[in-house]
Amino acid sequence: MEGSDNRSGYSYEGIKAVNSEQWTVNSKTIIKTENTTKIFNKGKPDEVIAVNGLSIEISKGDFVVFKGPSGSGKTTLLSLIGCMSRPTSGRVIVGNRDVSRLPERFMTEVRRGTFGFIFQQFHLIKGITVCDNVMLPLYPTDVKPLRLRKMAEEILNSLNMKERKDFYVRKLSGGEQQRTAIARALINNPEIILADEPTAHLDTHLSDEFLAIMRKLNKQGKTIVIATHDPLVYEKDYVTLCIEMRDGRVRKMN
Amino acid sequence: MAFEKHRNILDYTLQTLLRRKFKNAGIILVFTFVIFIVGSIVFLSYSLKREARLLFKNSPDIIVQKMRAGRHELIPVTLGNDIMGIAGVSNAGPRYWGYYYDSGAKANYTILGISTFGLENNRMLTGRLPSAHERGVAAIGRGIADVRIIKKDIGSTLYLQDADGKWMDFNIVGIFESDSEILTDDLIVMSEDDFKYLVKMPSGTATDLAVNVYNETEIPTIAGKIKERFPDSRPILRDEIIRTYDAVFSWRSGLIVTLFIGALTAFIILAWDKATGLSAEEKQEIGILKAVGWETSDILEMKFWEGVVVSLTSFLCGIIIAYVHIFFMGAFLFAPALKGWSVIYPDFRLTPFIDFYQIAILLSVTVIPYIASTIIPSWKAAITDPDIVMRG
Ligand SMILES: Nc1ncnc2c1ncn2[C@@H]1O[C@H](COP(=O)(O)OP(=O)(O)OP(=O)(O)O)[C@@H](O)[C@H]1O
Ligand SMILES: [Mg+2]
Repeated sequence: MEGSDNRSGYSYEGIKAVNSEQWTVNSKTIIKTENTTKIFNKGKPDEVIAVNGLSIEISKGDFVVFKGPSGSGKTTLLSLIGCMSRPTSGRVIVGNRDVSRLPERFMTEVRRGTFGFIFQQFHLIKGITVCDNVMLPLYPTDVKPLRLRKMAEEILNSLNMKERKDFYVRKLSGGEQQRTAIARALINNPEIILADEPTAHLDTHLSDEFLAIMRKLNKQGKTIVIATHDPLVYEKDYVTLCIEMRDGRVRKMN
Repeated sequence: MAFEKHRNILDYTLQTLLRRKFKNAGIILVFTFVIFIVGSIVFLSYSLKREARLLFKNSPDIIVQKMRAGRHELIPVTLGNDIMGIAGVSNAGPRYWGYYYDSGAKANYTILGISTFGLENNRMLTGRLPSAHERGVAAIGRGIADVRIIKKDIGSTLYLQDADGKWMDFNIVGIFESDSEILTDDLIVMSEDDFKYLVKMPSGTATDLAVNVYNETEIPTIAGKIKERFPDSRPILRDEIIRTYDAVFSWRSGLIVTLFIGALTAFIILAWDKATGLSAEEKQEIGILKAVGWETSDILEMKFWEGVVVSLTSFLCGIIIAYVHIFFMGAFLFAPALKGWSVIYPDFRLTPFIDFYQIAILLSVTVIPYIASTIIPSWKAAITDPDIVMRG
């Protein structure tokens, strides 16, 4: 089983190859779900169908928004796409690879090699510095500590966080925490950035700042996927794809 | 093959430990204390046993005492000749020994009158022993020299009070050095004649008889025969003595047992506290690490390092403190418990000795369970899908 996985290119080297070549060479589609369903507590009285037979397609360089009321399945869909959980049925394709059945190890590798996550609650680790938080995703890799620190510092510089790099997270303002979270999402130079309700804890000014950063990254060629019900986000004209959800299904796409 | 990954994870672990430094310092402190107590007990009981074995290595196969009304009495020397008549006995002879209470130092000494069966173990002697009929000379243990004699050396004089209260003086001709103190530290060896005079022992009697046999397997049979022929005698086998001494040496008093149980309880509570689960904060952290790209195995590796660092640090500290305590500070914490056997011992020193097999056992019953109790609760958190962190 493992052997065949290796031959078909799911090894670490294989994933690097996916990153650098196959996506650009192959079709423009970077993420695709096919009849994807996610059911929580299946067969129990509290069964929830969070995502229900959903098929979408996202192209490389898209600026995508998932919108819809609370409980419509946005977060669930984001986690399926981002290899954070597996669908109950149907397929999730990242690049040209079906990730829905990958063993955990390879799912983690795809996740680390492809996605940058920005969570609603930021999810920074409080007792360590900004820089250490940013380095976090690459600790369990063979990047040398000094090089890793330099990478983190460069990204923090680009986000105007230079002066804050040795601060402890609990001393940061909301906007600074947000930027730290963005920096952490960028440390592995991801192809795709996934953000769940990124503006929920921010005022208008900071929300605009956040979107400006996303816009810039999008212009650099990164694919952006944001789940939100904040009109400030989905009414932006540079949103290329807006998927409106309800009860785990797509209601409207434009 | 690159090891950077493991180094990075170890780095992060150390950072995490520092981050919770009060909690972890507390754990290390308790753990060190536990290892210290358990280690001290192991070191002490083991080296005491060693001393005891040394003490009895050359002791007679059977000791015969005379009993009257259930009490130990002086034995007629002629009984030795009768015992010699039993088949299988190689020799039998009188021993002269007893205790001397020194009211000045408030200490008990062991006094020994030398005869053919006097002192078998004299490796540690500097100078010489008195001979059987030599008057007014003695060889003494270093402990007594320290307590009683100003010059503390061969050639000085030791004064003892005889049974009538008259003073006798002894010229010191030999001193037992401290290597194997328990055997000889409180010992005064004099001639048979001086001994009898000092304690006013009737002639023709001895404290007990030492009997040796040709074939060790016959010891119980011969003891049985002695008992049969001389019903008022009590033969004591060497094995019995060793066993008794073992017991006395190891568990001198309930105090050590209490300490041991206390330490063990502390350890179990510590491990239990770990094993019962992670704090919400730790779970959250594991979720975050997974979400940003750590594998389950990376998280378990981190927890492994955490357990290793905490428990090995504690183990090394605990063992070193225990070693110093037992071998260089005279086991002062246990002194109240050990005092019973001789008042002179409050500052006895044991021969430093480490048995690596013992260390290995100690390591495996403390460090390994601790590491396990660190890793196992994290397992559940580490294998769950990371998407739970996406919801608060
Ligand atoms: N782990 C879980 N176990 C059970 N039910 C779950 C779980 N996660 C999500 N759900 C349910 O799945 C449905 C979809 O949840 P999801 O979080 O994807 O919605 P959402 O669109 O992100 O909502 P919101 O806008 O409030 O964040 C909800 O009804 C939720 O209660
Ligand atoms: Mg949500």
